[in-house]
Amino acid sequence: MNTISIKIEFGGGLELLFENKRSYRVDIPSVVPTDNTTDAEANLADKETKDVDVDYLIHHMKDHMLKERVELFMEKNTVRPGILVLINDTDWELEGEGEYQLKNGDEVVFISTLHGG
Amino acid sequence: MAPRSCALCQKAKAMVKRPKTGQQICRDCFFYVFETEVHNTITQSKLFNPGDRVAIGASGGKDSTVLAYVMKTLNERYQYGLELFLLSIDEGITGYRDDSLETVKRNQQQYDMPLKILSYDELYGWTMDAIVSQVGRKNNCTFCGVFRRQALDRGAAMLNVDHIVTGHNADDIAETVLMNIMRGDIARLGRCTSICTQGEDTIRRSKPFKYAYEKEIVMYAYFKKLDYFSTECIYSPDAYRGHARVFLKDLEAARPSAIVDIIHSGEAFEIKEEIKATQKLQQTCQRCGYMSSNELCKACTLLEGLERGMANSGITDRGRKKMDSEGPAPDNLRTIPFFKVGSGSAAITVETPS
Amino acid sequence: MSSCENPNTDKDVLMTRRQKFDGKTKLCVKCKENTGNIVIRYAVYCKSCFFPLVQGRFRKSLEPTINAPNGSRRKGLKASGSLVVGISGGTSSVAMLDLVAKTYFASLEDNKNEANGKLKGGKEHPRLVDKGVWKGKPTVCYVEVCGAFPGEKDRTEEVRHLVESYSYANFDFVPLRLEDSFDQKWWDTVGGGDLSTAARSLGFDMTDEELRLTTSSSDISPLTAMQTYLSSLPTPTAFHSAVQIFIRLLLLHTAASQRASHLLLGTSLTALSVNLISGIAQGAGFSVAEEAQEVWHPASDDALPIRIVRPMRDIGMKECAVWDWWCNLRVLAHSRPSQSGGKNAISALTKDFIFGLESDYPATVSTIARTCAKLTPKEGSDGICIFCRRPAQSGVQEWKARISIRSYQEASLAVSGNTRPPHLTEEEITNLTKTSLDSGSGPPVPSLTSQLCYACHTLLTSRSSRGTAASLPSGQSLNNVPLPFWIRSSIETRSFHKHAKHDFDADITHGVKLSRSEMKDQIAEFLLPEE
Repeated sequence: MNTISIKIEFGGGLELLFENKRSYRVDIPSVVPTDNTTDAEANLADKETKDVDVDYLIHHMKDHMLKERVELFMEKNTVRPGILVLINDTDWELEGEGEYQLKNGDEVVFISTLHGG
Repeated sequence: MAPRSCALCQKAKAMVKRPKTGQQICRDCFFYVFETEVHNTITQSKLFNPGDRVAIGASGGKDSTVLAYVMKTLNERYQYGLELFLLSIDEGITGYRDDSLETVKRNQQQYDMPLKILSYDELYGWTMDAIVSQVGRKNNCTFCGVFRRQALDRGAAMLNVDHIVTGHNADDIAETVLMNIMRGDIARLGRCTSICTQGEDTIRRSKPFKYAYEKEIVMYAYFKKLDYFSTECIYSPDAYRGHARVFLKDLEAARPSAIVDIIHSGEAFEIKEEIKATQKLQQTCQRCGYMSSNELCKACTLLEGLERGMANSGITDRGRKKMDSEGPAPDNLRTIPFFKVGSGSAAITVETPS
Repeated sequence: MSSCENPNTDKDVLMTRRQKFDGKTKLCVKCKENTGNIVIRYAVYCKSCFFPLVQGRFRKSLEPTINAPNGSRRKGLKASGSLVVGISGGTSSVAMLDLVAKTYFASLEDNKNEANGKLKGGKEHPRLVDKGVWKGKPTVCYVEVCGAFPGEKDRTEEVRHLVESYSYANFDFVPLRLEDSFDQKWWDTVGGGDLSTAARSLGFDMTDEELRLTTSSSDISPLTAMQTYLSSLPTPTAFHSAVQIFIRLLLLHTAASQRASHLLLGTSLTALSVNLISGIAQGAGFSVAEEAQEVWHPASDDALPIRIVRPMRDIGMKECAVWDWWCNLRVLAHSRPSQSGGKNAISALTKDFIFGLESDYPATVSTIARTCAKLTPKEGSDGICIFCRRPAQSGVQEWKARISIRSYQEASLAVSGNTRPPHLTEEEITNLTKTSLDSGSGPPVPSLTSQLCYACHTLLTSRSSRGTAASLPSGQSLNNVPLPFWIRSSIETRSFHKHAKHDFDADITHGVKLSRSEMKDQIAEFLLPEE
C-alpha cells in the first residue's frame, strides 16, 4: 500500500487536545475509502475509494491521534466551527476545504480561535 | 418530599412550576397571574378605549385560541367594554386550514363572538395550494406571510373594527429581536418590541401576549382544556424554524428568564436619530392603497408575478428586473381591491353565532 | 405560534448561505499580483497584504480615540494620560499586544521579524516621532482567574514571560488575581479609600428576593470570599458573567490608579458580536453601546476619565489567529470550556452559536456589530449600577413586577376587590397584599436591589433548574455573601451623600403614603446600622 507523509501542526491552544504537542508527522494511505473510515487501512477490496484528502486526514486524526473530547475538534464530519485550517500556509477555503487532495510532504496547520480574549 | 404550598396564595397545594418565574404555584394562581399579567400589559400600554371594536386574529392554533379566551375573560372581569370579533384568514391549504377553521368555528360558538373568515382566494384570486403549484415549496412562506398580513388588515376593515389583536407571544418577540440583529434589519428591530403598531393608514394592531411564554400558553390551554388545532403547516416543515429559534430554546433552558430578558433589552434601546433619518419613508401602494415602502406594496408585486407567470419577481431583485424588462403590467391584470381604513360597512356579512 | 405566522419575519430576507470563496480568482484583491493566502469575509488576501490590512483596522479603531475629545485639533497623537493594556493571553489579546508593541513602541533595530518589517509604526511613522503617544510607561495588566476554576493552572508567569518578550517596549507588568476584588490590600493599592468598619464587613443575603444587606464576617481570605460569592450565584450564566464583570472592574480600577487615559481590551469582532448577543440575552440592552466602547469616570477626583477601547473590534478571530500563527506568537490557552457547567451558560451558548453561524455565514458577526452600533439607549437612566458600573435604566423593578407577578403584594392594585383571584376570599387576599410596613415588623432592612441595573439584578436573582456546579466553601452561608470592594465603597458613599442632602431618617419614620417602590428605593440607600 502506498502512503504519503504529512506534517501536522497545531496552534491557538488546539495542541491541548493532542497531548500538548505542537507538531506531528503522520503517514497515511494515498488511496482511502470514500466514507472516510480509517480502520480498514489495510483492506480496501470491497470499498469505494478516493485519493486521500483533508477530510480523510481529519478522520484519521480523530480516530488515531485524539484521545478525548472529540466534540472539541470535530462536528458534522468536519472540523468544529472556530478551527482554522491552513494547507501549506494558505487558508483551506482557497484550496477546496476538505476536498483538497493531499500530496506527499504537505503541511497542514489547525488553529483554534476558540480561546478568545 | 412533602407537598409544597403555593408560593403565591400560600394556601393550595403547588401544582405547577411556572416556566417564567420557576415558582411553584397552584393551578388557580397560575390561571390568575397569567391573566393578570396580560391585563397589566393591556392597561400599561392603554391599548383599548371603552366601546372599541376589537378583532382577534384567530388561526385555530394555541396562541389565538388562548388569546380569544383570555380576552373574553378580562373584558368581563375588568369591564373593558370591548366588542370582540374573531377574524380568520383562510389561506386555502387543503387538509390543513380546513381543520383549523373548524376549531375557529367551535370557538365562535363557545365564546359567543361573531366570526369573519376571509380567504386568499376571495381577496387575491389565489389559494396557497394554487400558489405552491406554481412557485413550488421554496418561497411559498414569503407569499403566505405577506398575503396574511394584508388580509388581516382588510378583514378588519370589513368588520369595521378599531383594533386587531394577534397571538404573538414572548418567544416570538424575543426570536424576532435576535433575528433582526443578526440580519441587520434595523427598521424592524426598532419596532418589533413595541406592543402596538400603527401605520398612518392601517388599523391598530397589538400583541397582548407580548410577555406570555409559549410554554405557559400551552399550559393554560391544557389546564383549561381549551381545544386548539396543532399541526405544522404542510408547506412549512419543521426545519423552517431556523437558527434563531433553536438558539432561543437553548437560552431559555439555560436560564428561563432569557425570553423576557431579551424583550427587556429590545425595549431598552432605540435607533439613533441620525440613522432613522436615512430610512425609507412609508408610502401607500399606488395600485391597492395599502401601506408600502415602495411604489408597489409587496402583496401587489407578488400578485403581479403570479399573474404574469413570473413568481420570482417578488422574491429576488433579478426576478423583479426581468419582469420590468418585459414591459408594464397589462391593464387587465388582476389586482387587489383598493384599501381604505373604515371602508367596511354594516352590510358585510358576518357569521353570527347561532 | 410557528415562526411562519409572524408577519415581522419576512422569510425572503433570512440569511442565505453564500459561498465563502467563489473560486473565480485566487489573486490577492489588494496587490492583484500575489496568490492569496487567506479569505476574509469573501475577499482574498496574500500574506504580505494581510499584515498592513490588520494593522490598518487596528489603528482605525484606536487612533481616533487617542487625543482628548475637546483638545485642540492637533496633528500628532497625544493622549492625556498613560496606557494600560488588559490581556488574557488568548488569541486576540496576544495579537493586540503584538500590534500595540509594534505600532507604538518598536525601535528601528527590531525589524528582524518578517511581519514587523512590513508594518508602519514606531519611528517610521512620521506622526509618532516626537516622544511617545501616551504619558509615562505603558502597563500590561493580566487578571488570573484560576481561583474561580478549580484545577486550572496559574498562568501568571507565562503571561509575564510573554510581556517581557517585548523588551523594547519596556512594559510594566501588573499581574492581578480575580480574588483581588475582595482584597483590602488591592483596594488600598488602587487608592480605593478608607471604609468604615460597617462597610468593610458588608455582605448580602442571596436567599432573599430583595437581596437585603447583611454583615459578613470580614476575617475570611479574599479567595474564600470570592469563591463564596461566585458559588452562591443561581446559574452558570451568572457565574460566567460575574467573572467577566470582576475582570473588567479590576482592570478599570487599576487603570485609574495608573492615571491612565486609555484601557485597551483585546475584544475581537467575533467576540464583540458574542458579547453583544449574550448581553442582550441577559437583559443588558441598555448598555449595548458600552460593549463596543465606553468611557469610565473613576470615583476618585484626581483620576482621569478612562476610555475603554477595543482596537481589535473590527478584526475577526480568524485574522487574529492567523496573525498569531504567522508572527510565531504563542497563545496561552486554557482547557476550560466544559467546566463549571460552561455549556449551560448563556455566554458559552452564544459563543457556540455565533462561531457556528460565522462558519456558514461569514458576514453575520460584522452585521451584528454594525447593527448594534446603530442603537442608543432610550431615555431614563437611574445612574450607574453598583455592580457592573454601567448606566442603569430607571423603573426596572416596576417593569419586572408587572411582567412577572411574583407575589400578590407587588400586584396589589390589580388583584383587589372583585378582581381578586376567584379561589381566595376577600380576607385572604387582603392579608397577602399587605405591605411589610403595615405588618409592623420594624424598619425594613436596606437591600441591593434598587441599586442594580436590570442585567445585574437578573444575574443575582434569576434561577434555573440547572444550578451551578460550584459548591459553597465550607463554613460559608448563602445568607451572608461577601461583596466586592467597589460595591462596599459605593454603598457607603451613596448613603453618606443622602444623609448630607436631606433629612433622610424623617422620610422613613413618617412613612407616609410612599409607593412601595419609592419606599424600596429610599431604604436601599440607607446604610446598614452598626451593631
